[in-house]
Amino acid sequence: MKTASKIYTGIIMLFLFAPIIILLIFSFNEAKSLSVYSGFSLNWYKELFKDAETLNAVRNTLVLAVSASLISTVMGTAAAVGINKLRNKYLRMTLDTVTNIPMINPDIITGISLMLMFVFVGRLFGAATSLSFWTMLIAHITFCLPYVILQVLPKLQQMDSSLPEAAMDLGCTPLRAFFKVEVPEIMPGIVTGLIMAFTLSLDDFVISYFTSGNGFETLPIRIYNMTKKTVTPKMYALATIIFFVILALLILNNLVDDEAVAKSAKTKAAAKKEHSRTRKIAVGIIGGVLAVGCVFILVFSGSRTLELNVYNWGEYISDGSDDSLDTVKAFEEWYEETYGQKVKVNYSTYASNEDMYAKLSSGAVSFDLVIPSDYMIARMLNEDMLLPLDFDNIPNYKYISEDFRGLYYDPDDIYTVPYTYGVIGIMYNANVVDEADATGWELLWNEKYAGDILQFNNSRDAFATAQYKLDLDINSTDHANWDRALEELKAQRPLVKSYVMDEIYNMMESGEAAIAAYYAGDYFTMVDAQAEDVDLRFYYPDHTNYFVDAMCIPSCCQNKELAEIFINYMLSPEPAIANAEYIYYACPNSAVYEDEGYMEDLGEEAIAILYPEMESFRELYNKYAYRNLDNETLSYINTLWETLKIG
Amino acid sequence: MRNKHTSRGSLVQRLTLAPYSVWASFFIIVPLIFVAYYAFTDSEFNFTFENITRFFTATSSVTENGVDKEVHTYLVIFGRSLKLAVISTIICLIMGYPIAYIISRASARAQKIMITLIMIPMWMNFLIRTYAWMTILQDTGILNGILESLGLRPVHIIGTEAAVVIGMVYDYFPYMILPIYSVMAKMDIRLIEAARDLGCNSVGVLRRVIWPLSLPGVISGINMVLIPSISTFYISQKLGNGMFYLIGDAIEGQYIANNLHFAAAIAFILMVILLVCMALLQRATSRKTAV
Repeated sequence: MKTASKIYTGIIMLFLFAPIIILLIFSFNEAKSLSVYSGFSLNWYKELFKDAETLNAVRNTLVLAVSASLISTVMGTAAAVGINKLRNKYLRMTLDTVTNIPMINPDIITGISLMLMFVFVGRLFGAATSLSFWTMLIAHITFCLPYVILQVLPKLQQMDSSLPEAAMDLGCTPLRAFFKVEVPEIMPGIVTGLIMAFTLSLDDFVISYFTSGNGFETLPIRIYNMTKKTVTPKMYALATIIFFVILALLILNNLVDDEAVAKSAKTKAAAKKEHSRTRKIAVGIIGGVLAVGCVFILVFSGSRTLELNVYNWGEYISDGSDDSLDTVKAFEEWYEETYGQKVKVNYSTYASNEDMYAKLSSGAVSFDLVIPSDYMIARMLNEDMLLPLDFDNIPNYKYISEDFRGLYYDPDDIYTVPYTYGVIGIMYNANVVDEADATGWELLWNEKYAGDILQFNNSRDAFATAQYKLDLDINSTDHANWDRALEELKAQRPLVKSYVMDEIYNMMESGEAAIAAYYAGDYFTMVDAQAEDVDLRFYYPDHTNYFVDAMCIPSCCQNKELAEIFINYMLSPEPAIANAEYIYYACPNSAVYEDEGYMEDLGEEAIAILYPEMESFRELYNKYAYRNLDNETLSYINTLWETLKIG
Repeated sequence: MRNKHTSRGSLVQRLTLAPYSVWASFFIIVPLIFVAYYAFTDSEFNFTFENITRFFTATSSVTENGVDKEVHTYLVIFGRSLKLAVISTIICLIMGYPIAYIISRASARAQKIMITLIMIPMWMNFLIRTYAWMTILQDTGILNGILESLGLRPVHIIGTEAAVVIGMVYDYFPYMILPIYSVMAKMDIRLIEAARDLGCNSVGVLRRVIWPLSLPGVISGINMVLIPSISTFYISQKLGNGMFYLIGDAIEGQYIANNLHFAAAIAFILMVILLVCMALLQRATSRKTAV
């Protein structure tokens, strides 16, 4: 029996720690792969400490967790004391039930319910933005409170209620009796509650996802939004550091406890002394954390410098990793040098156009600059969500190629400045796929490669692959058109390995999948990281998607001139080239594509793919780019998408 | 003297309860009212039952074994979420119950170490943990690498319901162990000894003494695993390869599609169903423990 339970415990521990061990190992991987180990290196740790945005997200996560856990511990402990004294049965039952609600409700409902309320109230008061650090703090306090109360309440019930009474009879004021007698008795419950609240807040993703505001991105949200490029071992490095910090804290905690136990065994008097000492240590720790928390909050809310809130796709700007230019930081420095004033750029990310639109249109957030794709720009213009630009502040607009002016979404060039453009192509692993099969969209429907094919996990792009294949209009409002595309996607479903966005990197690089349609720029990122037995190739099918992503200023903008200065900066040669080199997307900026150094670095193959020779970009673009669809059609597509997904 | 204390007490009571009561009404009760409000209104905030009826009546055609048939979209999605969540909960219980018992019978020091070990994964970021499972389970992943080097046939797990269940079990496993353990640790060992002395065998002790006494822990463990797993959307996206929707995906999808009212309706229905389930579970067990 003894050995059996030891073996069983071993198996369970292996199950619990297997992914953590893997994460530890791959954080030291030389290559970018998360599944093929190629040698030891500390590169990812170096990368991590260069990634200002991620470190900022770590800081935000800590600020939030410290503030939320402290406030909920104080309020929760007070509430527990009150509930414990409550003699009215019905009142008590009501409070118990209410306390249980956030624990019984799934996170997604708690998140949605708070989001709906914040947005509604925000609208009512005409606030430019209803979600912010504060709404997130409120949400975190709300879901932490019940855990604190449920930890403290039992300790209060176990306590001899005559103790505080005796103290008061002996002349203590109630307050003094509470702090001198009750608090030490219930301290273990308070500490456990605090730790639980801190843990829950630190790890929460779902509730934060629905209540996060602009300029305040926590680590879980940042990881979720890293969809344009893959989760790199950088994140594993971060997880490894977190792991060891926690381990050290736990060991320290255990040592202190053990020492106290050992000493207290010696004499009773010493035990008493020890008891009061651990108590003091506990109070000291909490006091220390409290002080740190206050400083954090002061630092956080005390910044009165100029702020610019930028909202962009995940990993869609040169951010200082891989020895690239940290664009945001460079802008901040340049601005201070030029204008003699400090500016702080709050940079947040989104995972899709729809995601960004949902947040902006609900009035939940307010940004000064967004970078959506063409069809989304058309939609936002339709709904008066964008402001006309003052081109006097953007002289560098002169670099923008004629080809990219006057496109359908902004025919008079009033609202937008193109950021990147591109074409969707098909990539395949030449070690699996016959060269002869690699033509047109048919490759994605080729039964020979069943189980090796990837499809977009986003309705518009997925439907478009079927529509291009069938030569249907991708911007049709005719239901029959979309129904036919759905039939095509259903026929493809048994062949599909996975519906992906960011997972594509990992899957194509490692050879897990062999065929996928994706953005040309990202193909090169994958080639750079492909495993030894993988040989990725790329081609354009006849009909395919052409897109432009452009910088524009939403109507909720708080500082338009600053946003325009930022746009102008992004267009100036040095940052524009650094940016184009980093993100690998084709650039409509002549200062970039006419730069010899940049073109040389790219190499012939990349030039051929990124800047394909075409008779007229405008003509192809007008024919094959996504247009904005009306709500009725969008809703219909969403319904069809669900149908595909229940299959 | 007594009276003086109680009057002081009630002032303290009011002062301590007031912040929480205000907080709870504004940030727990009112938001739920908003869910209901959105669920029963259209985009112009006019009253409607349409969102609710859509959940129960929307159909789509699927091909199963070469036969086309009409199914209720959201009922199928909900059914699948429920099925996977229940399976995960049962596996957590079967795996977690023995380990909780083993820990509760270990020495005080060993107990502390093992509980700490079980809690450590909870501090690692949930998204990164799930991502790590993806690299283990995928076809060219670490698991198949190990199987291959042992000369065994590779297995295909990623993108199946099994992968989603593994993810759910892994992520919520500690939530099953901890409450069962804390009940068992407080259990009076003399009761077990007494039962043994009175001629009960091991199975009898487990069935008649340990299990009934641990029931409150089991119930709270089931709560803590079932609820998050029924509503997850990240696990199904990553480990399910995006091959199928769970109810959490449906809510998130409607939110992204900017269809807040229907998202609220799904959330509202999910909430009502869960509350009813939990109430029934509570009632069934409280009757059982009373007997």
